[in-house]
Amino acid sequence: MFGMIKTWKALQAKGIMGINRRNADYVLKYNKRHLYPIVDDKIITKERAILAGIHVPEMYGIIETEKQIDKLPQIIGDRPDFVIKPAQGAGGDGILVIADRFEDRYRTVSGKIVSHEELEHQISSILTGLYSLGGHRDRALIEYRVTPDQIFKSISYEGVPDIRIIVLMGYPVMAMLRLPTRQSGGKANLHQGAIGVGVDMATGVTLRGTWLNNKISKHPDTTNAVDGVQLPNWDGFMKLAAGCYELCGLGYIGVDMVLDQEKGPLILELNARPGLNIQIANDCGLTHRAHAVEARIAELTAQGVVETPEERVKFAQSLFGNVRKAEI
Amino acid sequence: MRSLTLHLKVLIAILVTLGILITAYQIFVVGIPITEDETDDLWNIDAKVEFVATPKNPVKVQMFVPPLSQDYVSLNESFISNNYGVSINRVDGNRKVTWSARRVSGNQTLYYRLVLTKRYSGEKPKAKGPIFRDSIAVEGAEKIAAEALMAPIRQHSADIETFISETIKRVNNVNDDNVKLLLAGDPSTTNKAKTIELLLSIAHVPMERVHTIRLVADQPQTPELWLRSFNGTDWLYFSPETGEQGLPADRLVWWTGDENLVSIEGGKKLQVRFSLNNSQMNAIRLAKLTDENTDADFLEYSLYGLPLQTQQTFMIMVMIPIGVLVILVLRNLIGLQTLGTFTPVLIALAFREMQLGYGIALFTIITALGLSLRSYLEHLKLQMLPRLSVVLTFVVVLIATISLLSHKLGLERGLSVALFPMVILTMTIERLSITWEERGGGHAMKVAIGTLFAASLAHLLMTVPELNYFVFTFPAVLLILVGFMLAMGRYRGYRLTELFRFKAFLKD
Repeated sequence: MFGMIKTWKALQAKGIMGINRRNADYVLKYNKRHLYPIVDDKIITKERAILAGIHVPEMYGIIETEKQIDKLPQIIGDRPDFVIKPAQGAGGDGILVIADRFEDRYRTVSGKIVSHEELEHQISSILTGLYSLGGHRDRALIEYRVTPDQIFKSISYEGVPDIRIIVLMGYPVMAMLRLPTRQSGGKANLHQGAIGVGVDMATGVTLRGTWLNNKISKHPDTTNAVDGVQLPNWDGFMKLAAGCYELCGLGYIGVDMVLDQEKGPLILELNARPGLNIQIANDCGLTHRAHAVEARIAELTAQGVVETPEERVKFAQSLFGNVRKAEI
Repeated sequence: MRSLTLHLKVLIAILVTLGILITAYQIFVVGIPITEDETDDLWNIDAKVEFVATPKNPVKVQMFVPPLSQDYVSLNESFISNNYGVSINRVDGNRKVTWSARRVSGNQTLYYRLVLTKRYSGEKPKAKGPIFRDSIAVEGAEKIAAEALMAPIRQHSADIETFISETIKRVNNVNDDNVKLLLAGDPSTTNKAKTIELLLSIAHVPMERVHTIRLVADQPQTPELWLRSFNGTDWLYFSPETGEQGLPADRLVWWTGDENLVSIEGGKKLQVRFSLNNSQMNAIRLAKLTDENTDADFLEYSLYGLPLQTQQTFMIMVMIPIGVLVILVLRNLIGLQTLGTFTPVLIALAFREMQLGYGIALFTIITALGLSLRSYLEHLKLQMLPRLSVVLTFVVVLIATISLLSHKLGLERGLSVALFPMVILTMTIERLSITWEERGGGHAMKVAIGTLFAASLAHLLMTVPELNYFVFTFPAVLLILVGFMLAMGRYRGYRLTELFRFKAFLKD
């Protein structure tokens, strides 16, 4: 009992945010319920992003009814690779990534061969709502397959590594690189076994990481060190993330981005309830950073100033960046 | 944000105080017992009147019965008499029953039975009585003796109260010559009372005889004489033997005045015998009984005012918030993972029908079999609704089979499954299987165990009879619960499991 109180105090001193605090002070306070569909439905997110001029993976087509499944061949055309996603899926479920085609069959990234019928059944399952959040009917989205940048080759196992940045009222507060592992089955979700690696906000250099709530410094599958990797085009990621506030209007979001080999930083999806393990990856609590941003906003509101995404990125980088250097 | 916090605090404060006040009112003012086991004494008083009727004469027996205007509430009063007419009338604050018959002969027995309890009395009527009386005329030696006694009594007393008790003490001192003269060699209580009355009347202090019955079980007794006098606001009671003031709590006033308990016309060998016994009665049942017999309808607007069938439903319903509270604490304070938010409460309700150990076993078996069916259906690539329908039908068949088997084996418990656990079971299977696919078997097991644990805890708490009674009788307690839930709504501290989840931070 006494040990627990000590742990509690220590966590509080470090500014570690718990689920209750995240929900009460951030999600419920900054995220208006009526804006949720924008982030919950990937199709709406994508349309909004295109309107705002933010880069997203190209959408090939949408299937809304069972009847439209017949149009699948036209949508795919003769593209060799593509991704089928549920518009309202959660946790990366129901996503089918086709890497190649031969004869009448398809090969997924993990090497499994699927027939056209299985593809259609997968879409049918998506439409019935098997993977959607509330179990209600959903739409299937067919889009461009992201090819991750070569930089991730050594520290990633299959799948597409993505970059998650927590954005509070347009200010990036914490960033993390998510690396799929053998255990996560190519998915980049931490609770499924992916690795989270903290990223320095100012430089884009990776820090140490977290895997299943533990701290690690090597990838369990490739045994390469995950820290000290410079992410290319980091300022681009930061600006992209900061701009998502204007895009969706939600004040506390997790922005998931990928670095495509050809197209550069792309927005994959937004999350209105970003997880808390990013704190372990960065070895830093969210609460203090969030308070700093809230103080800044209060200060600016008093002056009647609204900052542009570039200014917000600069503020965040000056305050939260250079963690490593500050420690040494 | 701050104003919202203040708003919430005020709301919580209002709800909690309201809940406490209403409950306190019910307990302390209305006097509803806190536990169901609380019992109250119930007194059964029988007065048996026996006499021999004179042949060919009409018979009329008159007897005082308690006026029932005091701290006691009568639950039942009956006059048992064959062939007698019964009438009751009130005279000077007394009640008198009259039994009458035209023609009876031989030994006669009449019964008067009163069942009463001390609880739930209404407001006391305002006491009223005389404060002055004329002196009783005495002459000669008696007069001198009385005056000789009066002088020291006056000297030793300050007011009516002390005057009366001093008088009683003096009269009980039988060695005093003056007293001896006044009592004329008859030291009985009745005679003493008469002497006391004489002395008090000289000082113009009115006095009344009070005949009481002692509420003691299984002891033959005759009415005990007490004296009382009105001091302007209250009646003061005195024992004529000791001068001790105040009527003990176990005395019931049967009648007041100088008359005898019973009188008879057309009979002889009149005898009255009292017998008392007490029994215990469940307090809330007693409250309902007294409710019917008095004007105080304090249970009218409680849940006890509902028809019995509806009451039983509400008995379960008022416990659901308790179950929800358990889930709230387990999820938000402890951080236990459960299937859905309120599924555990529904499962807990299902346990109600089956009993805990058996319920858990049945639930585990059916869920396990359902899951294997579900994973088989997965290969058939069915759509969601048809698949759910198949699983539900399977669950029905499974429950039917288990019921049949257990019936054949003589285990009657298997038959106790009710209708609604089936849908809960089906949804549990579906959700569990989705969790299994999405998060893996380990996580699904964790969630399933968490759900069963939460459900068992909720069930155990929801079926505590004392708690059930308390919440049902004092529904305002639910307001206090709401206050707690509101407070939980803005709880920002860590969940217990988070202390372990974030342990990595402390390993430096």
